[in-house]
Amino acid sequence: MSTHRQYELVYIVPGETAEQPLADLQSQVEAIVARFSGTVDKVENWGRRKLAYEIGPHKEGVYVLLVFSGPGDLVKEIDRRLKVIDLVIRHLIVRVDEEIEVADRRQARRKADTARRRVARGLPPEPEERAAGAPGEPNHEQTEV
Amino acid sequence: MSEMTDRGPASGGRAGGRQGRKDEKGAAGRRGMFRRRRVCRFCVDHIDHISYKDVRLIAQFIPERGKIQPRRISGTCATHQRKLQTAIKRARQIALIPYATD
Repeated sequence: MSTHRQYELVYIVPGETAEQPLADLQSQVEAIVARFSGTVDKVENWGRRKLAYEIGPHKEGVYVLLVFSGPGDLVKEIDRRLKVIDLVIRHLIVRVDEEIEVADRRQARRKADTARRRVARGLPPEPEERAAGAPGEPNHEQTEV
Repeated sequence: MSEMTDRGPASGGRAGGRQGRKDEKGAAGRRGMFRRRRVCRFCVDHIDHISYKDVRLIAQFIPERGKIQPRRISGTCATHQRKLQTAIKRARQIALIPYATD
């Protein structure tokens, strides 16, 4: 089995598109994802937005975000299909798992660092006592860190 | 480092440089130019991941013309400027922000 990764797809259809074709397109995309044994993790409709620049005759577009996981072949296929479908005026697929992982790791490291520094100063690792009491402590902390 | 890069005219820059960046605001004020203290906004706010979808955040780094604001103006650190750059370029592709405006 090939490795599955998480990707983010944004596609734009013309602003005047009716509900039905949009729903059809969405199910089409989801069918492709399913065919490659991928999973749809999130679907988000941003609704009608003004485009920052005109794309052909279009000034407005409906943005749809779809987060999915699957193998690389799936991405290729979706990309190809979206290029063919005339209804889609623009689309973008971006890999996201790596970025999220890096961001999470950084956050974890920062948290650990804070905890370590706090312990070194003889404070409990979590800054909970800020709400619970210990007047004067927050100010002192800000200057020192 | 700041006095090397952003202030060519020698005298004022050198004097200000020794006292560090705190001085910068005052020095610029005399010249009638507004300059904020240059710190990376993303580092301050602990933003690790800059998404192309976050138009409101990105738009702050795009001046009127639509170009990407250089680091020397915004004060963004290298790491975050790189991420910002990717985000802006992606956002442009899907027409969230313009390539250029006139």
